[in-house]
Amino acid sequence: MGTIEFEGRPVSFEQGDTIASALYRAGVRTFSRSLKYHRRRGLYCGTGDCPNCLMTVDERPAVHTCTAPCAEGMRIERPGGFPNAERDLLHVTDSLHRVMPVGFYYKTFVRPRFAWPIAERVIRRATGLGALPPTTAATRQVVRHEHVGTLVVGAGIAGLDAARDAGAGGTVLVCDEGRIGHAIAPGTTADRLAELAADVRSLENVAVLEGFTALGIYEGLHVPLAGDGELVHVHPSRVIVATGAVEEHGVFPGNDLPGVMLGRAAAGLAGIHGVRPGERAVVVVRTGEGIDHLRALTAAGVEVVAVAVSTALASRLPSDGVGEIVVDGDVLEARGGSSLRSVALRRDGRGKRFDCDLLVLSLGLSPRDGLARMALPGEPVTLVGDAAGETRHDGRCGHDGTVCLCEDVSIHDLEQAWDEGFRNAEILKRYTTTTMGPCQGAMCGRALACFAASHADGRSHPPEGTDAPRTTARPPTRPVTLESLAAGVHEIVDKRTSLHELHVSAGAQLDRSGGWLRPFSYGDWRGEYRAVRERVSVMDVGTLGKFTIAGPGADELVDRLFPCRTDDLEPGRNRYVLTLDEAGYVMDDGLLGRADEGDWYLTSTSGGAGRMDARLRNLADRLELDAHVLDRTAQWGAINVAGPYARDLLERLTDDPIGAEAVPSRGFADVTVAGVPCRAVRTGFVGELAFELHHPRRRGPGLWRELVDAGREWDLRPHGLDALELLRLEKGHVYLGQDTMPDDTPAKLRMSWAVDMSKPWFVGKQALERMSSLPPSRRQVGLEFSGGPADTAALRGEPLIVRGTVVGRITSAERSIALDRAIGLGWVRTVDGGFPERLETGSGATARVVPTPFYDPKGGRMRG
Amino acid sequence: MAIEIPCSWCGPRPFTEFSFGGEWRELEAPDPEADFARVYLPENREGWQRERWFHAMGCRTWTTVTRDTRTNAIEGS
Amino acid sequence: MAELRVEHPSVVVVLGSREACDAFDVPDGTTPMRIAPGELMLVDAPGVAEVRVPTGSAPWVEDVSDAWVALVLEGVDALDAFARLSELELPVDGWIQGEVVRAAAKVLVAGDRVAILVPAMLATHVEDRIRTDAAEVLDS
Repeated sequence: MGTIEFEGRPVSFEQGDTIASALYRAGVRTFSRSLKYHRRRGLYCGTGDCPNCLMTVDERPAVHTCTAPCAEGMRIERPGGFPNAERDLLHVTDSLHRVMPVGFYYKTFVRPRFAWPIAERVIRRATGLGALPPTTAATRQVVRHEHVGTLVVGAGIAGLDAARDAGAGGTVLVCDEGRIGHAIAPGTTADRLAELAADVRSLENVAVLEGFTALGIYEGLHVPLAGDGELVHVHPSRVIVATGAVEEHGVFPGNDLPGVMLGRAAAGLAGIHGVRPGERAVVVVRTGEGIDHLRALTAAGVEVVAVAVSTALASRLPSDGVGEIVVDGDVLEARGGSSLRSVALRRDGRGKRFDCDLLVLSLGLSPRDGLARMALPGEPVTLVGDAAGETRHDGRCGHDGTVCLCEDVSIHDLEQAWDEGFRNAEILKRYTTTTMGPCQGAMCGRALACFAASHADGRSHPPEGTDAPRTTARPPTRPVTLESLAAGVHEIVDKRTSLHELHVSAGAQLDRSGGWLRPFSYGDWRGEYRAVRERVSVMDVGTLGKFTIAGPGADELVDRLFPCRTDDLEPGRNRYVLTLDEAGYVMDDGLLGRADEGDWYLTSTSGGAGRMDARLRNLADRLELDAHVLDRTAQWGAINVAGPYARDLLERLTDDPIGAEAVPSRGFADVTVAGVPCRAVRTGFVGELAFELHHPRRRGPGLWRELVDAGREWDLRPHGLDALELLRLEKGHVYLGQDTMPDDTPAKLRMSWAVDMSKPWFVGKQALERMSSLPPSRRQVGLEFSGGPADTAALRGEPLIVRGTVVGRITSAERSIALDRAIGLGWVRTVDGGFPERLETGSGATARVVPTPFYDPKGGRMRG
Repeated sequence: MAIEIPCSWCGPRPFTEFSFGGEWRELEAPDPEADFARVYLPENREGWQRERWFHAMGCRTWTTVTRDTRTNAIEGS
Repeated sequence: MAELRVEHPSVVVVLGSREACDAFDVPDGTTPMRIAPGELMLVDAPGVAEVRVPTGSAPWVEDVSDAWVALVLEGVDALDAFARLSELELPVDGWIQGEVVRAAAKVLVAGDRVAILVPAMLATHVEDRIRTDAAEVLDS
C-alpha cells in the first residue's frame, strides 16, 4: 500500500499497519538495544507500554512504533547501538555486567575526580533513547482549557460504557491515546466496541478525543491531555479511569530475548496485521484472553509446540493443534543468541526443553491504574473495567531475568541493592532506577513490588493473594515531549507605559526592569546625565506604584503600616517612607503624601507595587479598618521633569502656581500642565529640582510631546535608567534590593531617621525594639575608591577586605561625573568592635568610607 | 497542578491566582521578646494549618483558610 | 472564527464599605460588577463619576477608564478562542474575574462576545498572546 524508509532502506506497509507490524513483516526482529548493556530487544508488549519498540520517527525520538500507524515516507531509525542497532559493538558491555553493577556510576568514577566528566561523555553517547536533532524547531502547541462534568480516560469497552452512562447526566469528554478499537483484532470484542463507539458518538453532550494521552491527574481536578500539536487542559468534576490493564511481564532468565512476546503483541501481529510472529511457538496461557491469543496464532499458521496452561483454563484449550499441553507449567528459562532458540518449561517438577523461535506469554493482567493512584484520597476519581482489577500475587516473582526493560535492571541487580541495604520498593526504585524509564513502571512496577515484598521479613515470596505495596505513582504516565511540557507556559510578561511607542521611535535602548520594559538610555547616557544636572530632562516614571488610600480608616492604616510619623503631615505634604516586614527588615520604600483629610497618595517602587497593594490590603483586613485602596498604577502615568530649569519649563505650560510655596520641596499639588490634569509631586531622587507629573495614562504621550517641545529652549533630552544610576548614586540613594540585604534594618541602612520608635505600634516595631539591644554588626556605607580599574563600574560586586579578611561588599560603583571621582555604595561588617574606614577591594583598589550624599550634601539644588 | 483555594469573595480558584501569605499569626506579641517566636517560629504543621491567601489575580482580598498540609484538603470545602 | 478588537470602554469604580456598595444606585444600562466586598466596577457608565466624596460613609466614585483596555473577542469561536487563553470557566451571560494569560482580568460575556478587560500596561502583552495562542480561530 505504501513505503516507509527504515534506516535507509524501503519497507512497504499494508493498510492498517503500525510501524512495528510493517517492520516485523519485513523481517526486522531487533527493535532496539537496551539502555545499559546493549542487549537486543524485540517486539514485546504490542500495546505501547514497554520500551522495546521505541524508535526515532521523522527525527522524533522515543515513538512507540507498536502503536504508531504507518504513513507514507516516514523515516524510521533505531536509537542506540554503534555503528547501529543491528550490529552493535557496544554489546560488549553486556559481558562487563559484573564491573558495571547497579549504581556503578555513583561508585566507579568517583576517583580520580577528573575521570567523571570524561566518563560522562562516553556514557551519554552510549545510552539514551535517541538524539534530538539540535536544529529541530519546536512546533507550536495549541493549548485549550475544557471544563466538563466527566472525563473518561480510555475508550475501550469499559470507558465507552461509562461515557454512555455519564452522558445521561452531564457533559462528558472521552479520550484515548489511540484510535478507538485500532488495536483490537476482529471478533466479538471488536464488534461490541464498534457498537458502543457509535452509540457514544451519537450523544450530543459527549465529545471524543482520539490520539490524546492523559499525562497525569493533578489537584483541582486537572488532567492535561497531550495530543499531536495540542495540549488540552481538562478541568473535570470527576474522572473515570478506564485505561485497561497491561499484560503481566514475565521474569525468567532470557526473558528479554527477541522472540519472547506478550500475548497481545503476538495475537495482534497474527490477527490484525496478518503477520506470522514466528514459526514454532511455546505459549503460556494463564488468562482467558490467552485462549484467544492461542487461536489467533494457530489460525495464522504458527506451529504451537507446547502450551503451559493454568489448571483453571486447561479445559478451555482447543482440543488439537496446540502441541504438548503442560498443565500448571511455568517458564524456567529462554535461550538464544540474537533471538530465541529454545524454551524450558517446568513439568512435573522437572524441566523440559522445546525448540522454538517464539514464546508467547499471557501470564495475567496488571491494571493500568497509575493515573488513578495519582489522585488524592477523596477526590472523585474512579476506576472501571480492567483498570479496576486487582493485582494479586500468585507467589511467582521470578528468580532471575530482567525486571526493568527500560533501565536494564535484573533480579540480580535488585538482590545486590537489597544486600547493600536498600530494603523497600521506594528506595530500591531510586537506587536501581527500576520503574523510572519510559514505561513508568507499567511492566516492572508489579515485579519490583513483588520482589520487595518477597524479600521483606526474609520470606522467599510474598504471602499469596496479597497486594504488595507499589511505589508512588507520579505524572507523567507516558513519555511526554518537551513541547507539551512547555505548551502555554510564557514566563515573561512585559508591562508597558503609555509612552512606549515614543521611546521606541526616539531610538531608546529598552530592556526589562521590575516587570516593565523601560528605556535604559537614548544612546548617550552621559549626555542625558548632563541634561539633568545642568539643564532639564524628562524621564518616564509611569512604572512607579501609585495608590490612593482613602476612607474612614485610612489614617490609621497608613500610620500602622509605615514606621514614620504620619499624623503630622499637612495636606499637600509628603514624606519618604520605608515599609518593614514583621522581622523589622526593610522591604520597600516610597513617598507618602496627604492629599486631604482621609485621602492619602502613596508612590512605591516600580517592582514593588503589587506587594505594596497586598500589604496595605492585608493590614486593613487584619485590623478591620474601613479603608479602601485604589491602585492607580495602571490608571496614571508619570513623567519626572528634573533639572535646574524644571520649574521654568513647567511655567511655560501651566497657569497654575508651581513656585516653592504652591508645590514645596516634600510636597505636591494638583496642577494642569499643557491642558493635562496632573498631580505634581516634588522628589529628590536625582538631586536636582524635580517634579513628577502623575497624569491620566492616555494623556501621557501628548504631555510628553509638549514637555519635549517646550524644553528645546534648554536643549532638553530625556534620560533613562543608565543616567539615573549615576544620578541617584551621587546622592547616595540606595536601590532596595541592589544595595541592600534581605535582613537590613533601617539602622543598618543609616535610615533610623525614617523610624519613629515613640509611635505606639507599626509593622516591625517589636522586632526593632528587640534588636535595638544587639551590638551593631553591619551597615551600609558610602565609598570612595582610589587605584581602581579604569571602568569604575567593574568594582560592583567586589569584596571589601581588611587584613586579608572579607568584611563587606561593593553593591554600586560608578565614576562620578560631577565630582570626577570613583564612588560607590556597599556594606561592611564590624572589625574588632568598630566599623573599618579604609578597606581593600578584591581587585586591589583602596576603598575609603565617606559620608553621603556625595553630591550636593546640603540638598540645596534639590530644594530649588 | 492546581490546588484550589476557596476565595471568600470569588469562590474556589486555582492557587496560581493567589499569593501565599504564610501561616496565620497574631499581629503583635505580648512583648518584644515573645515577638521573636511570633515571627521566627512558625508551627509548620504536618496537618491542619491556618494560613493566609491573597487573591492577586481576582478580587484582591485576603482569605484565611485551614488547609491540611499533607493532602491539601481545605476545611469546609 | 472570531474577531479581535481593542476597545477603550468607560470604567468607573465605586469604593466604600460593604453596605455603601450594596446601597449604591447603579444607573440603568450599565453592567455592575461587584469585584470585591467594598468595590463595585461599572462598565460603560459615562457620567457616573462626577461626584467624589473622599470621606465619611459615602463611597469614593471615580472614572478609571485610563486603567483598563478591553480586548474583545466576537464571533462563533469567541468562546473557543478564550479557552486557549485561560482556564476560567465563563458564565453564559455575565462576568468573571481571574487570570487570563497572566493578567488580572475582568471578563464580560454576552452571547458570542467576550470582552477581556486588562490593566492598560498589560494590554499589548495580552493582545500579542491572544493573536498567537488563538491564531487558529481568529480572523486575520
